[in-house]
Amino acid sequence: MTAGRSLGQFYPVASPLHGLDARAKILGIAALAVGLFLVDSMAGLLLIAAAVVLLVAASRVPPGTFLGFLKPVAFIVALTVLFQIFFSREGETLLRWGFLQVHEGGISTGLFLALRILLLVSTAGLLTATTTPIALADGIENLLSPLKRLRFPAHELAMMITIALRFIPTLHEEAQKITRAQAARGADFSEGGPVKRARELLPVLIPLTIGAFQRADELAEAMESRGYRGGNGRTRYRELRFRARDALALVTAALVVVGGILV
Amino acid sequence: MRIELESVRHVYAPGTPFEVEALRGVSLMIESDEVLGIVGGTGSGKSTLAQHLNLLLAPASGRILADGVDVQTIARSELRRRVGLVFQSPEAALFAPTVEEDVAFAPQRLELGVEETRRRVRETLELLGASHLAARPPHALSAGEKRRVAIAGVLAMAPEVLVLDEPTAGLDPATREDLLGVLRALRDGGTSVVMISHDLDEVAEVADRVCVLEKGEERAVGTPEEVFYTFPEASLTPATVRVVRPLRGSHPEVGRPVRFEETLAALKELVGGQV
Repeated sequence: MTAGRSLGQFYPVASPLHGLDARAKILGIAALAVGLFLVDSMAGLLLIAAAVVLLVAASRVPPGTFLGFLKPVAFIVALTVLFQIFFSREGETLLRWGFLQVHEGGISTGLFLALRILLLVSTAGLLTATTTPIALADGIENLLSPLKRLRFPAHELAMMITIALRFIPTLHEEAQKITRAQAARGADFSEGGPVKRARELLPVLIPLTIGAFQRADELAEAMESRGYRGGNGRTRYRELRFRARDALALVTAALVVVGGILV
Repeated sequence: MRIELESVRHVYAPGTPFEVEALRGVSLMIESDEVLGIVGGTGSGKSTLAQHLNLLLAPASGRILADGVDVQTIARSELRRRVGLVFQSPEAALFAPTVEEDVAFAPQRLELGVEETRRRVRETLELLGASHLAARPPHALSAGEKRRVAIAGVLAMAPEVLVLDEPTAGLDPATREDLLGVLRALRDGGTSVVMISHDLDEVAEVADRVCVLEKGEERAVGTPEEVFYTFPEASLTPATVRVVRPLRGSHPEVGRPVRFEETLAALKELVGGQV
């Protein structure tokens, strides 16, 4: 069980951030994410970084969990930094070694881009770690509801997102079970080169895929037999409530972004 | 092979809100050539315990010895060959295009050679009464057929200990009887069998010894007579014992039969053979 360690999983503790309305969090996080791309100075990026650090502290989710979220992107970040360092030709030349040149601009751009990616993943992690999948989907549906007039399937989209999120841990668990079952039959996932290891994964991927399709079929039938017929006229068990503190949180996020762009 | 567990503890997701202490210091002996039944409610730690026997899960503390040797010092591949583990719904892990190829998966990993692999596939399928399925694709089989094939896939390693996690769950009565017969035959052939089950009647029928787990601790270990006549709870008492127990007050000579045939014989004796 690695519950709570991967991106997209809810971390059940009580915190001010957990208590916010899902819509406030979605919009606030979206604002920060867009802000990350509009900000063009290191100072601005650091301002947003400070805000993210404060949010992580306020979420009461152990910081180590966020480091876990960052692991899968570590490779991309490293690649970005190396690419910038060796291929950028901006600023003073710091080092010349054969055809390789390292310029000042390359290092600063590399660090800037790395920080941007790490912050982007962390903010996304903040949203999913502090918001239950159901609340998240309700929030998305609610925010998209004006589009229903244009026949945009807001409810269906939200339901798809909820189900997809809901089944990440299930599939993860299933994958672990099958991996162990094959390991018990002598499969070895740690030895050999990349090609051999990829081949070793087939005995896991095939049953996992078949199982996922069967599960999808069963879920669809179970939903229909419990009266599901799409979003029309459907009521909610939990109503979303947008309160003063939600508005405050949203305004603060917007201010941080504007501040980041201006400095 | 004789397996010994010494105060084995296991904690899932330590240090997170999802933390669960699944085993709280279990000590248990699994003798060679016996059928050990492990019973207990859901969440009592049965499946976690099973996965420790071939080190798919490692204990947080405590030791597991195989014939007196700490299993941590045995190569994993060697240990997994000697201790075969059949998971709950093992059919979920069938993947090869045909039954034969799926059963051959483990022998191929053991690099046994073509002849030996073929022989093992043939013999295990025969033992489980699934020879006629050899060329079929596993996903087209019935639930009971899939279960047989999946168990054959583990038996093809010729393990010294066979651990089965709820092997009869969801099987029809005939397939279940067949499977219990296979387990007895394996035991008689010198393989130790550990069977986890929710079905007390079936454990009473097949087990030489029983271990009752409760909240990650062993509540009782012993022969079925010793264990099943101790608990007041009906939920821990097989049907045979529930029939006999009320009679024991007035007719102590009925003894402590547990298996169906034993119980029937004891009851016949009691009514003076007038049946």
